[in-house]
Amino acid sequence: MNLAVNLGGIKMKNPVATASGTFGFGLEYQPYIDLQRLGAIIVKGTTPSPRAGNPPPRIAETPSGMLNAIGLQNPGVDRVVEEILPRLAGLGTPVIVNIAGDTVEDYALVARKLDGAPGVVGLEVNISCPNVKKGGIQFGSDPRSAAEVTRAVKAATGLPVIVKLSPNVTDIVAMAEAVAEAGADALSMINTLLGMAIDVDRRRPVLGNVTGGLSGPAVRPVAVRAVWQVYRAVSLPILGMGGIMTARDALEFILAGATAVAVGTANFVNPRATVEVVEGIEQYMRENGFTDINELTGLAQRNVAGC
Amino acid sequence: MSQLVRTRITSREEPAPGFCLIEFYAPSLARAAQPGQFVHIRCGEGSDPLLRRPISIHAVNRRDGLVRILFQVVGRGTALLARSGEGMIDVMGPLGRGFSRGQACRNCNNSSGNAPAGTGNTGDIIVVGGGIGVAPLHFLLQEIAGSGESGRTTVLLGARSAGQLLIREAVEKMGFVVHVATDDGTAGHHGPVTGLLANALRRHPGFVYACGPAPMLKTVCALLAEAGVPGEVSVEERMACGVGACLSCACRVRDAGGRETYRRACVDGPVFPAGEVVW
Repeated sequence: MNLAVNLGGIKMKNPVATASGTFGFGLEYQPYIDLQRLGAIIVKGTTPSPRAGNPPPRIAETPSGMLNAIGLQNPGVDRVVEEILPRLAGLGTPVIVNIAGDTVEDYALVARKLDGAPGVVGLEVNISCPNVKKGGIQFGSDPRSAAEVTRAVKAATGLPVIVKLSPNVTDIVAMAEAVAEAGADALSMINTLLGMAIDVDRRRPVLGNVTGGLSGPAVRPVAVRAVWQVYRAVSLPILGMGGIMTARDALEFILAGATAVAVGTANFVNPRATVEVVEGIEQYMRENGFTDINELTGLAQRNVAGC
Repeated sequence: MSQLVRTRITSREEPAPGFCLIEFYAPSLARAAQPGQFVHIRCGEGSDPLLRRPISIHAVNRRDGLVRILFQVVGRGTALLARSGEGMIDVMGPLGRGFSRGQACRNCNNSSGNAPAGTGNTGDIIVVGGGIGVAPLHFLLQEIAGSGESGRTTVLLGARSAGQLLIREAVEKMGFVVHVATDDGTAGHHGPVTGLLANALRRHPGFVYACGPAPMLKTVCALLAEAGVPGEVSVEERMACGVGACLSCACRVRDAGGRETYRRACVDGPVFPAGEVVW
């Protein structure tokens, strides 16, 4: 049985990655799972300089989901390269670094510093963080800015470049087309949905940042729809994510058109979620007579009349 | 090392209306647990409520492999836990950095028990808890009693009213001197437990351990700073992963260089030196 996939030049032994920001720098989950079982580890958003992050409270639980407004807290790219990546390099699991910044130059700078860093097999360009004032989502909601960031990162690195798209746009297909045209090697979708919660007793927003990004099972139908639409319009491989808790959830994304998937919020609920998704996909393939995971990508598209 | 276990609940009690005490079987967790650490518990099988609940370890029985947690029912998640019928519980732990022990002796640094030069502090310990914050202090007091230090330890407990002084009897049975305070005056000092602490600090203790609601801990830290007494406080923050990955449970602290920064309550805490927390 073949579980290996190729995500825009990134070779993964199975289609299951960890979603950026939910898995720290990887080692936090070592007591609970064998990290070598993962297809890839996508580490926390990394910026040119260290960031302190947003004031607490940084999360709020919502029906079948959660809001977060961490604010890209990270030690900065230099410490990531010098201290953190060398520790991950020995694991034998491909590492993809999520990169972010305030300006196009920031993205290019981080990309350049990560080029050739040990163990890093690709970059995920975060143009969709809803929780920082500058950068992030502002690049993710305008096709021209998104294309500009993509081109700058591509010019700064030889690594495969995955661009992470935001669902907080009118037309996600237009965004996907723009970054594909600009040279992206793959698409990652979706980032969190912009949301907020109010504490009725205190009569004020729950989050220190007022608004935050919604994730968890509540967003899954939105994410599956986005993957479905983009798969039809753009030929780039897709890393699908948004509320995947189980193998069946992951298979929804793959059947809609995802080449690989990322597990995020589920890690908080079940630290073994990633490995259980890998095992569940294997079991599904066995029970349904599939020998290659790649046969499943986009299969549901072909089962819809007139599509 | 922390582990994930799905295990049997061995008993469930309601020590006071709105509070729940659960005991479960987890021998290796019981062996590894240190006072001030917590376990991260799933409220149910479904996705709503989604996140685990961090609950401090209230007591361990290492011989029988049992762990106890004591919590207040404050929302849907804890309400589900308090009545989870199937008798099984999904637990991660032990997690976090607990109370450091032996601090009082180190601060005293004088085997005769006299005050060390410069600080004027004795080797006495004060343990102060408010509301449900007493839960982890019970475990700490078990360990203090076990090391024969109950004679030089004073316990201060605060609650809304007499019926909610959850650990008073248990701690008295361990041999500690206990002073209580209630908001409504139904037992002990009428007012916040920090009033008792202000008095107790006049006797120059060597170290103070505290856990309780944020306003109480803020006052505790201010009193300790004023008295020049070192101590540790266990804080509470909204938490998601519990293992240091998601950076949700940010606690504002002052680092060694005096700069303000965030630390993770789940792995850098939940216990922090009293002088470090920025309120």
